[in-house]
Amino acid sequence: MHRLGGVGLAAFERQQQSQKSFAELSNELSQTQVNHLHDQLAQFRNALIRFASTHRDSIRRDPKFRHEFQRMCATIGVDPLAGPRKGGWWAEMLNLGDWNYELGVQIVDVCVSTRERNGGLIEMGELVRMVSKLRGVAGGVVTEDDVIRSIKTLKPLGAGYEVLDVGSGKKMVRSVPKELDEDQSVVLAVAQEEGGRVTEDLLISRRRWTPERARAALENMLLRDGLCWLDEQDEEGVSYWVPSAMRWEE
Amino acid sequence: MSYSTHTTPSGFLLPSIHAAQAFYTKQRNQQTQAIFTENWSRLILAYARHKRLFTLRLEDAETSGNPWDEIFRNTRINRRLFPNHLSHILQDMVSKNLAVYDPPKQTSSVLLFWRTPEEWADVLYEWADSTGLMNSILTFYDITEPVVPSQLSDIPVAILRRAINVLVKVNRAQLIAVADGEGVRFLAQTGR
Repeated sequence: MHRLGGVGLAAFERQQQSQKSFAELSNELSQTQVNHLHDQLAQFRNALIRFASTHRDSIRRDPKFRHEFQRMCATIGVDPLAGPRKGGWWAEMLNLGDWNYELGVQIVDVCVSTRERNGGLIEMGELVRMVSKLRGVAGGVVTEDDVIRSIKTLKPLGAGYEVLDVGSGKKMVRSVPKELDEDQSVVLAVAQEEGGRVTEDLLISRRRWTPERARAALENMLLRDGLCWLDEQDEEGVSYWVPSAMRWEE
Repeated sequence: MSYSTHTTPSGFLLPSIHAAQAFYTKQRNQQTQAIFTENWSRLILAYARHKRLFTLRLEDAETSGNPWDEIFRNTRINRRLFPNHLSHILQDMVSKNLAVYDPPKQTSSVLLFWRTPEEWADVLYEWADSTGLMNSILTFYDITEPVVPSQLSDIPVAILRRAINVLVKVNRAQLIAVADGEGVRFLAQTGR
């Protein structure tokens, strides 16, 4: 009578033998899987290279296409700028890294060069206009969406660039590391509605502020932050002007 | 409304900040005022050059009907520059050698240097050279009221004197006493 595994030294050897063959089989299986994955990755890369070479120009030139592309990347959880290598190979193949960094530099350029005039706060529309002007016709069209994305990539630099929502769909970009308090945001929103002009009365009637609150907010913006200008020849007495909410044509 | 450049009847291009209401108010924020002052002084010099104006007085901002109306008054937005604001701007211009109080020891009238004394010296020397007046003795009047109008016509003597001094220092001119006051002789460059 034999028990299945048997007993003694021979049985021990047999067991070792079968363990070995299991290990071999398992190795073989994982190897196949790895190979399979490699194949898939290679396919994916090829597809990507094909995509990049076919659509690179469209991505760089056509803001609508670029927006769709960015959205597609976001839904599948891929950051077109990130990757194992510097800039990532998406970025490398699409030349999108350079494109984004270039845009970032242009945004900084506009923000810094207009800071004297606007105290470090610029209206999004004007920023887009000025960046587009800087890029010239050959640079292709740049949208608000691109600017917002690019500002996000500036974040690690710690320069304090931030996109602010000032209400009624209007956005502003702040390029000085100054916190805007809530009252200042309200003043900016009212200034936006009024082409740049704000008065104590406007804040009192539109936002039901007390005169003291209106005066304090405006004085702070004027003296502490230099974010608005004083006009003592206003028909109603005194008014304040937020240069970043005024429409400049140059 | 938007803020844009504007061409005056005399053909001068006003910068867009000239259309901003607050530009005419002296700012309580020092940094903002510094920006305004710089813009005003640039504007004043460019306009003076455009109209060949050498003198600016505080009264020019007080009363209308003088050659400065086009920049000190903006009737389109009903704003004007007031003398106390202008006084602050002039003080800054003098401190930056863009103007000089003239006559001295008062602060209500300046001579404007829309060309620096060095630049005027070059103009002067070239004028003397091109009109064949090298080495002749000229009175200041010969220069400021030349028979053939030149870039130097009507130049105030105070500016002329500074320009001549620049040339004297490099041995290109000599101040000479003449019968009715002062004269100058321009010296041709030798050895070059």
